[in-house]
Amino acid sequence: MPLPPQKNLQQQVERILPTVVKPGRYVGGELNQTVKPWESVQTHVALVFPDIYDLGQSNLGLAILYDILNQRGDVAAERAFAPWNDMEAALRAARLPLFSLENKRPLADFDIVGVSLPYETIYTNFLNILDLSGIPLYSADRTVDHPLVIAGGQAVYNPEPVAAFVDAFAIGEGEEVILEIIAAHQAWTGSDGSRQDLLVALGGIPGVYVPALVTVDYHPDGTIQSVTPDHPAVKLPVDKRLLAEFHPPLSRFLVPNIEVVQERVSLEIMRGCTRGCRFCHAGMVNRPIRERSVPEILAALKAGLDQTGYEEISLLSLSSSDHSQIIPLIEGLQALLTERQVNISLPSLRIESFSDELMDVLQKLSPGGGFTLAPEAGTERLRDIINKPISDAELMATARSVFQHGWTSLKLYFMIGHPQETLADVEAIAELCKAIFQEGRRLVGGRARVHAGISTFIPKPHTPFQWAAFDHPDSIQTKIILLKDTLRGSKIKMTWNDPQGSQLEAWLSRGDRRLAQVIHQAWRNGARFDAWGDQFRIEPWLEAFASCGLDPDFYGSRVRESDEILPWDHINAGVRKAFLLEDYRWSLEGKVRPDCRERCYACGILSSFNELRLAAPNGGWKCP
Amino acid sequence: MTPDTQVTRIRVQYAKGDSLRFTGHLDLQRIWERTLRRSGLPLRYTQGYHPRARLNLASALPLGFTSDDELLDFWLDSPCPIEQIAARLQAALPPGLIIQSIQEVDLGEDALQVQMKASEYQVTFFDRQDPAQLRLRVDQLLSQVEIQHTRRKKSYNLRPLILDLAVVTNSSGECGLLMRLLAEPSATGRPDDLLDQLGYPNTDYLVRRTRLLLAEL
Repeated sequence: MPLPPQKNLQQQVERILPTVVKPGRYVGGELNQTVKPWESVQTHVALVFPDIYDLGQSNLGLAILYDILNQRGDVAAERAFAPWNDMEAALRAARLPLFSLENKRPLADFDIVGVSLPYETIYTNFLNILDLSGIPLYSADRTVDHPLVIAGGQAVYNPEPVAAFVDAFAIGEGEEVILEIIAAHQAWTGSDGSRQDLLVALGGIPGVYVPALVTVDYHPDGTIQSVTPDHPAVKLPVDKRLLAEFHPPLSRFLVPNIEVVQERVSLEIMRGCTRGCRFCHAGMVNRPIRERSVPEILAALKAGLDQTGYEEISLLSLSSSDHSQIIPLIEGLQALLTERQVNISLPSLRIESFSDELMDVLQKLSPGGGFTLAPEAGTERLRDIINKPISDAELMATARSVFQHGWTSLKLYFMIGHPQETLADVEAIAELCKAIFQEGRRLVGGRARVHAGISTFIPKPHTPFQWAAFDHPDSIQTKIILLKDTLRGSKIKMTWNDPQGSQLEAWLSRGDRRLAQVIHQAWRNGARFDAWGDQFRIEPWLEAFASCGLDPDFYGSRVRESDEILPWDHINAGVRKAFLLEDYRWSLEGKVRPDCRERCYACGILSSFNELRLAAPNGGWKCP
Repeated sequence: MTPDTQVTRIRVQYAKGDSLRFTGHLDLQRIWERTLRRSGLPLRYTQGYHPRARLNLASALPLGFTSDDELLDFWLDSPCPIEQIAARLQAALPPGLIIQSIQEVDLGEDALQVQMKASEYQVTFFDRQDPAQLRLRVDQLLSQVEIQHTRRKKSYNLRPLILDLAVVTNSSGECGLLMRLLAEPSATGRPDDLLDQLGYPNTDYLVRRTRLLLAEL
């Protein structure tokens, strides 16, 4: 049971708030927040985003779960975020625990702590939050007196690196499974059962992975020998959860009292993607593709604007221009725009799905400003290998059309470090940018701007490239220098990611259970905010690997054997390993796999989830 | 375009409560703009790619302070009865904003910032203070002809900005401060600077603005 309320906590916090930067991060009190009297509900859930408020508050996934949980009369969901370094120091100095924004309760008072893990470089912040809350870091050290720690999000499709710290993972879409987890917890609370009983009950829920009930054995060379369930309730693999149809859209967004990164009405117009880019984790794990209808989208946006007063709308999807009703949608948005005086952002537009008609309506929707395209690689050969088959001619035509329609600034996203990449492919990125810039100069004169955004390819679990190696940092550095040299004097702006940060992401995203001790040690060595360019340092990680006797290259720069048991093989994201392997082999032959909306290539989604599809004939699935 | 003759200027007197203590001036402007947008009133917007509702706040309140007396002006494109404006705003208010009065004002009035003359503040201390001790500190401060204070590496004379400063004691014997500071566009006194001169760091007290004083028109 919860400790007696710490009346003093809030008063003590009051005294330290004036000493920290942006104290508004730690006070809550926003429009549309839900505060329930603590004793009025049975189950208390802390929803945690392990980065600062400014970033986490706009996370749509957590906002949806907050809304779903707070609609329940017997459940209260409250929020907590990572304190910035100054607040961490102030809390530790005053010996105060991290607290929720709504009732200002220590996280240890909650029944369930639900953590969002959208990317891997957030793991040390997660540990820091547990530590600041006085919750034992390791699942094995927790008792019935501690909260249940659950985690979800895009990173947990490979849960193994953080398996030791999490009691249960929700794999896949969380809107339904969160309520099943609550139900299991409530039943257990009434039963006087042990913590093991709770874990077993959770392990029996589809889509829930309880690592404590699964044993992993290793070969002497460090690769995995076997993954075995320890309890009859546990079935492997754990299938991800999937919604047969979209949940009703959220309109009651919280409106922050201080400036945060994104302040807007956000709406997912489509989930999943059929393009099959081989590097794309989101495109593989979020299958199948499902669409919201235009009337539902427009009604939800209006309701969102009514509830918030926001002046901006953002439509989310992996590939907006692939929405089958994109033109009627944009026309509907235009009407909304003039009626409500709002701005609209429509990210993720595909180069090959542009028509002149689409350009026309887009230009009316958001005149001026910049345009973004993502060719991802510099040559046709390499774009075939990564399965983003756009010809140079198509690319130039789209770029030309962008400038002709009145945009003057074009941002181009590329990745370096792709499998089979040569220096010629890299140099071609620069040449392509120059050619496009030339076209821009010809069409709009001196106002033309081209910006190349360069990131590093990371071979991700559950993608056809999961067997591939992460490029060596020295090689990445060489490629960045080559790009800089080739672009020198060209007036093209280039930005790039820190290769060491990408390398950490590669280690963590491809890791196994043994990485828990490395993450723990790196945190003890001071690692925090690893996703922040100005905070990240590689040294705590290198020291942690060394002191744990593990070789980071084993995780990052090793091509994995096709018959190797991968650390995430017992998590089923819906796409079969055999399909991924075939696609990997196709990539080695430079063979392209067309968009699967036209024709099914049996990736595994339909065989795993066809019953679900049949049960929801209006679910908007776009599989053929 | 709406004819200018239809435009009205509305003044709201409001309190800024505890949940907005750590919301700064620019953020407060956005909160008001969004509140006005939610109200559905026929707002007057600026021109351009990113139109903003036209509004104006009287005086920036330092971070961490609450206030009983703040002023906002906004403009409507067409006239609307005051009762209706009040009802619509009331329904759209976020936690921490409390409306005290609403009135229509002359379009030709100077901007609120220009009309600002002085502000009154009340200070309460977290820890109990000895009234005699506090009075001594106040008297010592006020007896100086010039008080050089350094804020963000810039030094200025705080003394002429202090119009009034007094120790007050409530029925249970707890004492605090009342002050009236100049708040003209080019010369605005900050209570936290004054408290710093009295030897109190900003973790020792809470400040509430109790009154805005505008110039006589």
